[in-house]
Amino acid sequence: MSPARSWILTGKAGRPVLLALLALSAAGQQRDSNPYSTPEHVAEGRRLYRFYCVNCHGMDGASGRGARLATTFRRHGSSDADMFRTVSNGIPGTEMPGLWMDEESVWKILAFVRTLEARGVDACDSNPDAAKRGWAVYRNKGGCAACHTMRAGGGRLGPDLTAIGAGRSREQLHDAIVAPDRQIPKRYRTVVASGANGSRHEGILLNEDEYTLHLMDRTDRIRSFQKRELSSIERPSRSLMPSYAQSLSASEIEDLLSYLCAEKEVKP
Amino acid sequence: MTAWPLLFVLTPLTQAQVTFNDLVKAGEKPANWLMYSQNYQSHRHSRLAEINAANASGLSLDWIFQVRIMDKFETTPLVVDGVMYVTVPPNDAYALDASTGVKLWEYRRRLPPKINVCCGQVNRGFAILGDRLFMITLDAYMIALDRKTGRLIWETEMFDYRKGYSGTHAPLVVKDTVIAGVAGGEYGIRGFIDAYSVEDGSRKWRFHTVPGPGEFGHDSWEGDSWKQGGASVWITGSYDPELNLTYWGTGNPGPDWNGEVRKGDNLFSDAVVALDADTGQRKWHFQFTPHDVHDWDATQIMVLADREFKGRMRKLLLCANRNGFYYVLDRATGEFLNAKAFVKQTWADGLDGKGRPIVRPGTDPTPEGNRVYPMVAGGTNWMSPAYNPDTGLFYVPAREGSSVYFIGEAEYRPGTRFQGSHFRNEDVDYDWYGAVRALDAVTGELRWEHKLFLPPWAGLLSTAGGIVFAGTEDGYFKALDARTGRELWHKNLGGRIIAAPISYQSGGRQRIAIAAGSGLFVFGLPAR
Repeated sequence: MSPARSWILTGKAGRPVLLALLALSAAGQQRDSNPYSTPEHVAEGRRLYRFYCVNCHGMDGASGRGARLATTFRRHGSSDADMFRTVSNGIPGTEMPGLWMDEESVWKILAFVRTLEARGVDACDSNPDAAKRGWAVYRNKGGCAACHTMRAGGGRLGPDLTAIGAGRSREQLHDAIVAPDRQIPKRYRTVVASGANGSRHEGILLNEDEYTLHLMDRTDRIRSFQKRELSSIERPSRSLMPSYAQSLSASEIEDLLSYLCAEKEVKP
Repeated sequence: MTAWPLLFVLTPLTQAQVTFNDLVKAGEKPANWLMYSQNYQSHRHSRLAEINAANASGLSLDWIFQVRIMDKFETTPLVVDGVMYVTVPPNDAYALDASTGVKLWEYRRRLPPKINVCCGQVNRGFAILGDRLFMITLDAYMIALDRKTGRLIWETEMFDYRKGYSGTHAPLVVKDTVIAGVAGGEYGIRGFIDAYSVEDGSRKWRFHTVPGPGEFGHDSWEGDSWKQGGASVWITGSYDPELNLTYWGTGNPGPDWNGEVRKGDNLFSDAVVALDADTGQRKWHFQFTPHDVHDWDATQIMVLADREFKGRMRKLLLCANRNGFYYVLDRATGEFLNAKAFVKQTWADGLDGKGRPIVRPGTDPTPEGNRVYPMVAGGTNWMSPAYNPDTGLFYVPAREGSSVYFIGEAEYRPGTRFQGSHFRNEDVDYDWYGAVRALDAVTGELRWEHKLFLPPWAGLLSTAGGIVFAGTEDGYFKALDARTGRELWHKNLGGRIIAAPISYQSGGRQRIAIAAGSGLFVFGLPAR
C-alpha cells in the first residue's frame, strides 16, 4: 500500500519514468547483431521457441494466428536489433507479448527464427531465363492475371501475388497451382448464395455475419445479400481457382514457378 | 495521470454516499447500477420495465461516448444518481452525465511500458462505496479514486506485476473492504484473493487459491508444482449477506495443457471457493474440473438464487461452466445438487453423485493434437449470464465447437508464458456457432435458444420488461423476448461486443448501456 501523496507532482508517475530510463539505458548497451548463432545456440533457441512462441506462430513459423515468421518481410523491422526489440517489448495494441527473459535467451530464439525465414526465401529459387518464360505463361496461357494482382495490375478474385517469392517456398507454390483445393485461405473460400427467386451467385466470401452476406463473383462484382432473402448458402470445399495440372505442361509449370519465385520485392 | 474536476460547470447532480446497505439492496433500486453484476446475487437483472417486449422495437440511440483505445472494451459501467463511471483500457476512467454522455472528469493512469497479460490490456469495471471508486490495474495495484473528481486517493500493490500478476476484473465491495483477485494464469503465478480496507488500502486478508505447505489441498499438487499453480481470479465474485460468504470462481492450473508436471487434483483451480467475507477463511469449495488439462477456467459469474429444490427451499449457487456443464450447488454447504451439459461436450461421461466429472479416456491433449468439445474458450467463458427471478430462467451465452489440444513441455521463467503447449482452432471451426440459451435454473433443461452466427464473447442483461439483451462478435446488439428467445430488435454497433449490458434510469427514463468497439452506446425509447 502506498497512499498517493501530492498526486499532481508525483503520484504514480515516478515509477514508470524511472523504468523508462532503465529501459533506455539497457537499450544503449544492447547489441546490434546476434552474437549467438552456432548450431547449439539455434537448438537451444528452438527449444525455447517451442515453449514461448509456437502457440501463435507454429513450429514452421507459418501457421497459427500470429504473424508469419517464415519470411524476410517484417512489419516491425527485420534487423537483429528490430527483432530483439519486438520480442523483448512485445507489440503494443496486439496480442504479441514481450518476453521477460534474459538477453541471451532472446538472441537464441531469434537465431532459430532466422532459420525459419530461410525456408521461405531460399526455398524459392529461380533462374532468369526460366523466369522470363514463366512471365509469358503467367500472362498468356495461364491467364493468371485475370484473377491475381502482380505489383500494380491484375484481377482481384485471387490472392495478391506481389512479392510472393519472399513468403512461400517453391513447393508450396507448386501445390497451390496443381492442387488449389488442398489449402484454401479463409479469405478465398468459395460460397454459393441462392436467392428465393432462383438466382444463383458463386464467388469468394467477403463477409458473413448474423444478418448479411457479401461475395465477389467471377466478374469481380461485389454482391450484397440479406440472409433472410436467401434460400440457401452453400460452402463447397473447392477453390474458385482451377487446377493447372492438366492445362499446363510440367515445364510450363516449372517456368511459372521460376517467375513467381523471382518476385521477392514490393516494387510498383 | 490527470484528473479534471469539471463538475462545477455542469448541472448539479445529487451525490449521495453509497452505503453498504445500498449495495445489499441494489436490486431493489434499479435506477442505479451499483456493482458489476447489478446485485450481490449477480443476477444482472434490472427491475426496470419501461422498455418491454411490446415496445423494444422502438429502441433508439440516446448517446455515444467514444474512447481512444485499440484494445478490447470489456467494461461494465456503474451508475449512481445520474452519473456514470466507466473504466477504459488500459486503466483510464471517465465520469459521464448518464443522460447525455457529457464528460465530467477523466482519470489517466500511466502504466509501465512492458506488461504481460494473456488476453489484451483490458479492464472490466469499478466497484463503489461512499464517495470512492475502486479499480484493479494491469500492473496489479488496487486503487481508490474520488468519485467526484477522479483524483487518486490511495493505491496498494497486490503483487509484483513483473512476475506475471495483473488485475482485470471489477472488484467487489463488502462492508468496509474491497475484494479482488489476481490474473496471470498463463504466467505461472500463484493465485490469490485479497480484501483491502476501503479507507486506506491496507490489506485485511489474503486467500491463496493454491494452498501452501500445511494448508488444506496442498497435497493435490505434486512436488513443487503448486508454486506456479495459477488458479487466477479474473471475474467478479458474488456475496450472500445472510451467510456472510463471498463466492469466487478460479482459473486454470498452470501450465494449462500439460498436466503431467502437476499430477493431482490441483486445488483450488477451476473451482468456486466460498470465503468468510470478514476473514477470508474458506468455508467450502467445489472443483468443477479437477486436474484440468484444457484451460477450462471456472472464472464464470456465480449466480445466487433461493429456489425450491426437490420440495425444499434451498440457497442455490448456479454456474454455467466453461467445461460445458451447468451446475446447481447448495451455497451454504457447497453440496452438489444437479448438473447438465448445456453445450456439446465429449470429455466426460457425465458426473458422479458428488459432481466430479467421469473423464472419458483419451480426451487429454496429445503431442499430435486431440480434438475435444467444447473448444478451448469453453462452452461459455467470463461473459456474464443473467438470471430472471420472475421467469426462473438462467440465460447463458453459449459457445458451440471444438478445439485441437496439444501437450508440450513447459519451463517456468518468472513473468513469462507458462502454458505447456498450445491449441488449434483453425480447420475445426467450421461447425462453430453460438447461442443465447435459456435454462430452467433448477433442472438445467433447455427452454429456448436463440442461435448466433458466431460464438459470443458478450454478456447478457435480463430486465423486468421481459427482455434479454445480448451482443454478438460481429457487432450486433439485440433484444430478445425473455420467454421465447424471439428477436425483438437489433442494431449494428460497428465493433465487436465483448462486454455485458446494464440498465439504469436517468432523466426519468430507462436506458440500456453497452460497450462495443471503441464506443459506449446508450439506448432508450424516444421521449414521448
